[in-house]
Amino acid sequence: MTATPILEIDGVEKHFGGLAALGGVHATVDSGKLTAVIGPNGAGKTTLFNVITGILNPSAGSIRFMGKDITNSSVHEISRLGLARTLQIKSVFHGMTVRENLWIAAQSRQGIFRPFTSMKACRVANERADALLEELQLTHLASQEAVNLSYGDVALLEIGIALATEPKLLLLDEPICGMGPAETERTVEKIRELSKRIDIVIIEHDIEVVFDISDDIIVMALGTVLARGTPAEISENADVRAAYLGDDDA
Amino acid sequence: MTAATINRLGLALVALLTVAAPWLLPLVVDEFWVDIYSEMLIWSLLAASVNLLFGYVGLLSFGQALFFGMGMYGVAIGVAKLGLGFWPAFGLGVLLATVMALIAGALAVRLTWHYFAIITVVFSLIFYFAALSWKPLTGGDDGLSFSMPPIVSLGDWELSLTDPTVQYYFIIAMVGICYVLLGVILKSPLGWAFRTVRENATRASLIGLNVYLIRLTAFVIAGFIAGTAGALFAFFGRYASASYMFYHVSGEAVVWAIIGGAGTLLGPVIGTSLLIVLREELSHIWEHYQILVGVIVILVVIFAPKGLGGLWHALVNRIARPETPDPVAGDKREDQP
Repeated sequence: MTATPILEIDGVEKHFGGLAALGGVHATVDSGKLTAVIGPNGAGKTTLFNVITGILNPSAGSIRFMGKDITNSSVHEISRLGLARTLQIKSVFHGMTVRENLWIAAQSRQGIFRPFTSMKACRVANERADALLEELQLTHLASQEAVNLSYGDVALLEIGIALATEPKLLLLDEPICGMGPAETERTVEKIRELSKRIDIVIIEHDIEVVFDISDDIIVMALGTVLARGTPAEISENADVRAAYLGDDDA
Repeated sequence: MTAATINRLGLALVALLTVAAPWLLPLVVDEFWVDIYSEMLIWSLLAASVNLLFGYVGLLSFGQALFFGMGMYGVAIGVAKLGLGFWPAFGLGVLLATVMALIAGALAVRLTWHYFAIITVVFSLIFYFAALSWKPLTGGDDGLSFSMPPIVSLGDWELSLTDPTVQYYFIIAMVGICYVLLGVILKSPLGWAFRTVRENATRASLIGLNVYLIRLTAFVIAGFIAGTAGALFAFFGRYASASYMFYHVSGEAVVWAIIGGAGTLLGPVIGTSLLIVLREELSHIWEHYQILVGVIVILVVIFAPKGLGGLWHALVNRIARPETPDPVAGDKREDQP
């Protein structure tokens, strides 16, 4: 299968004062693959996600999503093009129920400037929210406020919110960080399953999981791309072993 | 009974009592309480506009009196200076307030928290002093009084607010329309978008919602509601005065909204009524009665963060039969009426 890049990152830099968090990142993400971004703390992985999703504006360089320049687009515009994201610190609507969380995310695609339509009348979003509750096995928690959920369920809900926006590309920032073994397994399975229908880029520190699920790995260090390749290629790469995996582990 | 049924019955009872108040109140208390009750309902709209911003969108405005004042002056200037009839003057007041909210909001909602609060105060101070000094138009310190134009007149017959009964029913009808409008909006996708911005603005923008536009929309609706209150109050008192635009008035509305329960539709009515009753009953026997108001605010903020409206919902949910699982209905939620 010929892989076409869904995301093209071209010479992206981000400076905070004198500090270069990103020092000219060049990378592409191919459609039809699950791509992992790895690298030591401070490598610039989350900053890269922030620049891609419009939370930060890059100091230099450009970003194209599905061929469209999104370099200086705002967060909500980028979301509307079909790029969804979860955050390292789980980000949901805490005071709203699980179903309301999913419903408003789905309704965001149907239009929210409808002051005289009741929630119950929004058929498409209702169906989508119920389907997602089922798919994520959160139906029994539907009327629970998100603030009452376990950590693993919040993480799952956040993925659900992202899915409700019907994304073409999903960026996951450390989705299993802080989870117990059972929750990790459940979430990894979910991600693997999703990657069959949605393009996914994942930042993850758990190397075992990364090598297990990804088709493509981008290794970052000090704000640049150090290496790029299949899991097999990356594990053979001497630079990566030195800079990131550590010679001791070898 | 489910919580939703109890709430509906409670609402129906309050509506019934409100409609019957001109006969019922004089049976128990002095007749002037009918007037005070309609005044409470008008002021509750100002608290409702604070509540829409603070309770649903998470923006604390200390400047809602500006839009109340615009509504007042729109009516008074319309009648006294431009010679407008009842409805055009009413419309002018509400329109002025709404346009003012659009202009002030376009700048203010770029900011949040204390910056937002400060800029709302600044806006209302600017126009407070403008109203004081622009004497030919606003009457300055003296305010601007006018004589009441009729609502409708057909030949000899006319309907006018000079008739106390007409005035009372006109006010409760207008206030009722505003609350129904708010209730409908808060159940709509727009109302839920408001809540997402309150809960987590970053997440809201990440699901594709334009947070700026949502905040601005809420600000304009809040301006419309406060402006309607101001226009009604101008008709109620037959005059407009800059003193109602002072940020002290905005601050009172914030207190009413918080005591009543920010984030509940009818909380502002409860908070406003309670504090106006306190003022009427206590201010002439104890000049420092505001100390008591302060104590109540502190107690409510500490022990009932969702205000009296929140307490009511907690009580109803305790005595109510659990609802049959209905994933669509959000009736058990505290931000429902």
